[in-house]
Amino acid sequence: MVGGGVIQQILRRKLHSQSVATPVRSWFSSKKAHVDTGSSGVRAFALLGAGVTGLLSFSTVASADEAEHGLACPDYPWPHDGILSSYDHASIRRGHQVYQQVCASCHSMSLISYRDLVGVAYTEEEAKAMAAEIEVVDGPNDEGEMFTRPGKLSDRLPQPYANESAARFANGGAYPPDLSLITKARHNGQNYVFALLTGYRDPPAGISIREGLHYNPYFPGGAIAMPKMLNDEAVEYEDGVPATEAQMGKDVVSFLSWAAEPEMEERKLMGFKWIFLLSLALLQAAYYRRLKWSVLKSRKLVLDVVN
Amino acid sequence: MAEEEVVDPKKYLEESCKPKCVKPLLEYQACVKRIQGDDSGHKHCTGQYFDYWSCIDKCVSSFDFPFSVHFVIFLYVMILR
Repeated sequence: MVGGGVIQQILRRKLHSQSVATPVRSWFSSKKAHVDTGSSGVRAFALLGAGVTGLLSFSTVASADEAEHGLACPDYPWPHDGILSSYDHASIRRGHQVYQQVCASCHSMSLISYRDLVGVAYTEEEAKAMAAEIEVVDGPNDEGEMFTRPGKLSDRLPQPYANESAARFANGGAYPPDLSLITKARHNGQNYVFALLTGYRDPPAGISIREGLHYNPYFPGGAIAMPKMLNDEAVEYEDGVPATEAQMGKDVVSFLSWAAEPEMEERKLMGFKWIFLLSLALLQAAYYRRLKWSVLKSRKLVLDVVN
Repeated sequence: MAEEEVVDPKKYLEESCKPKCVKPLLEYQACVKRIQGDDSGHKHCTGQYFDYWSCIDKCVSSFDFPFSVHFVIFLYVMILR
């Protein structure tokens, strides 16, 4: 929005210089011409007026922007933030439990399969047992009919609604987005999702939210269709960790971060290894280059002047 | 077996950060007072509200020690069970 005000000022100045029939390229020199002609007083006033207009429009737009962009979320110290830090896999396991019990009734995660969870949050047997609990449509069989069967490891996580229209219909027109990539699909995704889930507050004075929506300062515009879902003790963790709102928020965001970036640990290891090796290669290359160039760089040129 | 009351660490931190953010809180309360008589529906205190909560958020996210307090509470609960 700063750019908007500044660009407005530049454009108005250019228009002014054009109206005096001076070349556009040299608006700077045309400014000098203004000073020279002596009618600079009027033009300066006009420029000042343009500048003030630009500034005023900037300030009113800025205040409307605050709620539009949502409150900026802070940066939380995630355990997997460091250059060599892995995910907290116990947290991923708990987060999946939270997703299953709290979020899966409305949000799909259609890019994750049960087999992806093996070795990350569950053993193969556990994952198989979880998959077997769901019914999957398969087919056609030999008679050409579709049939249902218990889930297998290769099946995707179940979708709560058949399609987007059904999802919107069941949620007052709002579509609960698929969460497979949500932490990558939102700016500063991990911190944003955590702030959003734990940030349901009373609206500020003067703001009223219509029936069916809820106030959340982090959501762009402030009015979100999803109600507050994380409440203390909403879930009973298998490992006995007390399920506070912040704990569940942290765990579910760890799970969603893994879901969006399962390759993160391998990527960090690879990055560390190759940056190290390439640094050594750089040193070697630098030495070799200086070795080869030393012949030319240590030349002496003698100017033989004939008198 | 004692049922230890579970303390949500984020709420605990937000409470303990309130003294650090008194100034934006007072600004917000002043704004609330200012717009109290307004019926047009256009006046609101989102700006001051955001200033206050971003102060609290900065303080909460930079806090280190209370997580160890929560761990102590957790240990206490586990031992009593």
